[in-house]
Amino acid sequence: MAAALRPRRLTRSAHYVVALAVLLVVLVPVIYAVLGGFRTTGQISANPVGLPRPWVFDNYREILGSDTFWRQLRNSVVVAALTMAVIVPCASLAAFALARFEFAGREAVYALFTIGLLFPLTVAVLPLFISLRTADLLNNPLGVALPQAAFGLPTSIIVLRPFFRAIPAELEEAAALDGCGPFRFFYKVALPLSRPVLATVSVLAIVSSWNAFLLPLVVLSQPDQWTLPLGVTNFSTQYSSDTARVLAFTSLSMIPALVFYVIAERQIVRGLASGALKG
Amino acid sequence: MTAERPPGGTRPLPTADPGGVSPASGAGSGRAGARWSRRATIIAFLTPALVLYVLLALVPILQGAFYSGFDWNGLEPLEQFVGLQNYREALADPVFLAALRHVGVILVLSLVLQLPFALGLAVLLNERMRGRAVLRLFFFLPFVLSDVITAIVWRLILQPAGLVDHTLGAAGLDGFVRLWLADPGIVLYTVFFVVSWKYFGFHMILLLAGLQGIPFELEEAAALDGASRVQTFRYVTLPLLGPTIRICVFLSIIGSLQLFDLVWVMTGGGPVGASHTTVTYMLERGFERSRFGYGSAVAVIAFLISFAFALTYQRLVLRRDVAGALTAMGER
Amino acid sequence: MHRRIARTALLVGLAALVAASCGGDDDDAASSSDDGASGSDEPVTIEWWHIQNNDPGLSLWEDVAAEFEAEHPNVTIDITVYENEAFKTAIAPRLQAGDPPDLFQSWGGGELEQQVDAGLVQDISDGVAPWIDTLNQAAVTMYQVGDAQYGIPFDLGMVGFWYNKDLFAQAGIDAPPATWDELLTDVQKLKDAGITPLALGEGDKWPGMFWWAYLALRNGGPDAMREAGETGSFDSEPFVAAGEQLSELIALDPFQAGHLAAVWDGAGGQAATIATSGAAFHLMGQWAPGTQNANSPDGQGLGDKLGWFPFPAVDGGDGDPTDGFGGGNGFAVGRDAPPEAIEFLEYISSMDVARRWGETNSGILPVVIGSEDSITDPNLQGILAARADASFVQLYLDQAYDPDLGNAINDAVEQLYAGQASAEDVAQTIADAAGG
Repeated sequence: MAAALRPRRLTRSAHYVVALAVLLVVLVPVIYAVLGGFRTTGQISANPVGLPRPWVFDNYREILGSDTFWRQLRNSVVVAALTMAVIVPCASLAAFALARFEFAGREAVYALFTIGLLFPLTVAVLPLFISLRTADLLNNPLGVALPQAAFGLPTSIIVLRPFFRAIPAELEEAAALDGCGPFRFFYKVALPLSRPVLATVSVLAIVSSWNAFLLPLVVLSQPDQWTLPLGVTNFSTQYSSDTARVLAFTSLSMIPALVFYVIAERQIVRGLASGALKG
Repeated sequence: MTAERPPGGTRPLPTADPGGVSPASGAGSGRAGARWSRRATIIAFLTPALVLYVLLALVPILQGAFYSGFDWNGLEPLEQFVGLQNYREALADPVFLAALRHVGVILVLSLVLQLPFALGLAVLLNERMRGRAVLRLFFFLPFVLSDVITAIVWRLILQPAGLVDHTLGAAGLDGFVRLWLADPGIVLYTVFFVVSWKYFGFHMILLLAGLQGIPFELEEAAALDGASRVQTFRYVTLPLLGPTIRICVFLSIIGSLQLFDLVWVMTGGGPVGASHTTVTYMLERGFERSRFGYGSAVAVIAFLISFAFALTYQRLVLRRDVAGALTAMGER
Repeated sequence: MHRRIARTALLVGLAALVAASCGGDDDDAASSSDDGASGSDEPVTIEWWHIQNNDPGLSLWEDVAAEFEAEHPNVTIDITVYENEAFKTAIAPRLQAGDPPDLFQSWGGGELEQQVDAGLVQDISDGVAPWIDTLNQAAVTMYQVGDAQYGIPFDLGMVGFWYNKDLFAQAGIDAPPATWDELLTDVQKLKDAGITPLALGEGDKWPGMFWWAYLALRNGGPDAMREAGETGSFDSEPFVAAGEQLSELIALDPFQAGHLAAVWDGAGGQAATIATSGAAFHLMGQWAPGTQNANSPDGQGLGDKLGWFPFPAVDGGDGDPTDGFGGGNGFAVGRDAPPEAIEFLEYISSMDVARRWGETNSGILPVVIGSEDSITDPNLQGILAARADASFVQLYLDQAYDPDLGNAINDAVEQLYAGQASAEDVAQTIADAAGG
C-alpha cells in the first residue's frame, strides 16, 4: 500500500500541473478579450500583452449606451425563445410517441429523425433561403426560429426518447385504470416527470440558437433584425481598425451566454450525461 | 377514447414495456375502432414534429438536390438544366478536393488527438481532487461561447507579434513562432487547435459522465486481483466506457464534416483556400458568386458523405452497444 | 387534450403576433418608399448603405444626411455603414431577395450591369439629366449601362504607390522609381537597409490583384484589357507577361510577414503596417491615407512623411504610362427608391458637398467639375493631376467584370503570391473562367 501511495503523490501533483495548464489555455483568450476592452487600440498596438494602463471605460460605456448592442441582444433572445417554444412541444410529443407506442414503421420514423443529425443546416441553407423568401419570412425572427427548431428536432428527440421509455409501466397502468388517456398521461404524468430532461433540451436549443450564425446571416439582412453573432461579426469588420472596441463588443456578447451557462451548467451536464448514456 | 372504457377495463392502452403498446388482443368488435383512434393518437403526437421537420428540413434538402442540376444565379428563372455538370465541376476542382482533404485531416486529428486528450482530462477529473467542480465548469466554458466569438478573439491572438507570439517569446520559445494564420501549410492545424479548444470540454463532460457510471467495485476488484492501474484501465474501464466513446467519435466526426462558422470567421477558408471546409467552399463559390446550382451540388456531395458515414457507423458500430447507446434501446 | 390544443393555438397565435409586429416595420418602410410619387408631405424613408466607415467620411455623410433632412422635413435617411468586405457579404442577400436598399455603394462596371439585368436598380437618366453634366464624364460613364444612367459617382481616383519618405531616404532612394526595373532595384535597396519594402493585405485578395492588373495594363494597353473583357483572352501575352513580372517581385520576398492572411483594413493589416512604418510603400487607391490614419495608434498616420507616385512604366509594354487603373465610389439607386433619393443624390453632387469632401483631404476625390482645388494635400493633388492626364482609366477587375469572373481573377492571382501557380497557369485559369 505504501509503495502505491508514493507514486500517487507525484502523479497527483502532475495532475494539478496539467489541469492548471489546460485551465490557462482555456481562460487566457477570454481574459484577453475582456481586458482588451478596457484598453485603447493604441495601447494594444504598442503592447499586445499588458494590463490596461490606464483603464479605459469608454469602449464598454459607448457600446452599452448604444442602441445596437441591446437591440441585437433582444433579437437573439426573441429568436432563442421562439426556437425553444417550438421545439419543446414538438419534440416531446414525437419522442413520447416513439417511446411508448408500438406501430409499424416506428423505427423508420425514428431513423428519419436521426438522419437529420447529419444534415448540416448549411446544406439546406440555399433552398431554405428561397422558400423563406417566397413565404415572406425573411428578416423575421420566425424565419430563423422555425428552421432552427426543425433542425434541432433530431437531437431533442434522441435525448428525450430514452426518458419517456423509462417511465415505469405500472404508472401507466395505474393511470389507465383511472381513465387517463394517452394525452392526459403525457401531459399530467410524463411531462412533469421529465422536467429535468426537458430543461436540458430547452437549454441545448437556446444555446445553439444563441450561437447560430449562418442561418441568421442569410435570413436577417436588415441590420435592425440582426442577432448578436451577426452584430459581433459586422462590428469586428466595421471597426476593424479599432481592436479595443471590437474586443469590448465581443466580451459583452459573451456575457449573456456565460451567465446562462453558469446558471444552467448543472442542467446541461446532467442532461447530456444521463440522456446520452441511459442504460 | 380510453375514457369510454369502463374502469377496471380489460386492457391498458400504452404500456411501458420496452415495446410500447401490445398488439390488440381484446374483444373483437371494439378492435377496429380502437385501432383507428390509436392511429389517430399516434398521428396527433407525431404530426407537429413531422410537419416542421419535413417542411423545413427534408424538403429543403430535396430542393437542394433539385437545384444542383441547374446553372442558376438565384435571380433569373430556373431554366438552364445542366444535369450532372455541377457535380463534375466540383469533383474536378482542386480547391474542392482540397477542402475534402482538410475536413478529413481535422476529422482524423480530432479522433487521434482531441478525444484521447479529453479522455485523459476526464480520467484526471474523475480522481478525487480539489477544485474538481470548478475545473469542470471552466473546461466546458469554451463550448458555450459562440464559434463567431471564438474565431474573432483567436484571430486577434494569433496575429503576427500578437499574444501567442509574445507568450512564446517570453517563454524563450522564439523558435516556435510561426505565421499561424498566414502560412498555407500551417493554417489548417491552427484551425484544428482552435476547434479543439472549443470542443474538448464537451467530449470531456460526456466521457466523465461515462466514467462516473462505472461502478467503483469493478475497478477495485481488478486491483485486488493484482492488475496495475494501466491494466485496469485497459481491460476494465475502457471497455465499459465503450458506448460513450463511440458516441463521442460519432459526434466528433459529424462535427468535423459540418465545420463552418469558426473557419469562416477566422480564416474565410484561406489563405489560398488552405483552410477551406466543404461548407466554407460552398459559401464562397456558390452563394457569394451567385452560383446557386453549383453551391447546391457541393452541398449534396457534403450531405452524401455525412449520410454514408452515419449509416455505416450506425450499422457497424453503434448497433453493438447493449447498454445505453442512442439506438440500442429499441432493439431488446 | 383540449388544453393541449388551446396551448398550441396560443403559441401559434403568439408567433403570428410576433411575426406581424416584426414584419410590420418592413411593411412601413416599403410602403413609404412606394409612396414616393406623392407630394412632399408624405413621410419618406431613404435607406442608405455606404462604406465610409472611418472618419472624416463617417461624420461628413451623417452631416450631409442631416442637412438634407432639415431641408426636407418629411424625409428620413436611414444610414447603414459597412466596411468594404462586409458590405459585399451583406448586400448579396438583399439583392437575392429582390429588396435592394434605396441608395447603396456601387463601383459601377460589370457588377452594376448584372444588377441592371436583374432589374434591381432604377434608371435615373431622366431624374439626373439637369445636373449630370456638372460631373466628371469618365466617372459618370462607369455608372452607365447601355446608354442609361443607374448610379452617380462621388469619387474617382487612381491606384498608385503611397510611400514613406523617411524610409525611402534611409535606404538611399532619392526619387521614386519611374520604371518597373527601377522599382525592383528600389525594393532590393530597402531590403538591404533592413526595411520591409512592401505592405500587402492579400487576405482580402483584391490588393494583390491591383499589381497584376496594372502590369497587364502596362503590357497590353487599353485594347488588350477591352478585348479580354469581351473575348476572355486572358491567356494572351500581356497577361502572361504581367504574371511573370509580378513573380519576379514576389521572388524578392518583399512583403511583411503574414501578408497572405493580412487584411487591408484591420489589426495587423496592410494599412496598419504602413501607418506604423512597418513597411516602406504599398500600392493602393486614393482612399489609403484615411484608412492608414484610422489604423494608426494616435490616429495621425504618417503625416507629411507620406508621398505618392504613379505606377511606373514597363519597358517594352504597349500601354501608355499615363493609363490609369482605379475607380471610385458612387451610389446605385435601388429599384423601389423614392424620387427623394435622386434629390438626395443631387445634394451629394452639389459643389458645396464636393468641396467639403475635397477639404477633408482623406482620399475621396470629388467628381464635380471645378471642385478640384478644394484639395490641398500635395499627394492627392498628384493623383488629381494623374487623373487629368489619363486618357484611359481601367476599372478594378473584380468590378469591371461580373462577380464570378472577378472573384476568379482574385483567386488565381492569390495563388501567384502563394507560389502555388506559375504566370501561365494563372493566365490560363482566368481565361478558362472567362470563357467557361
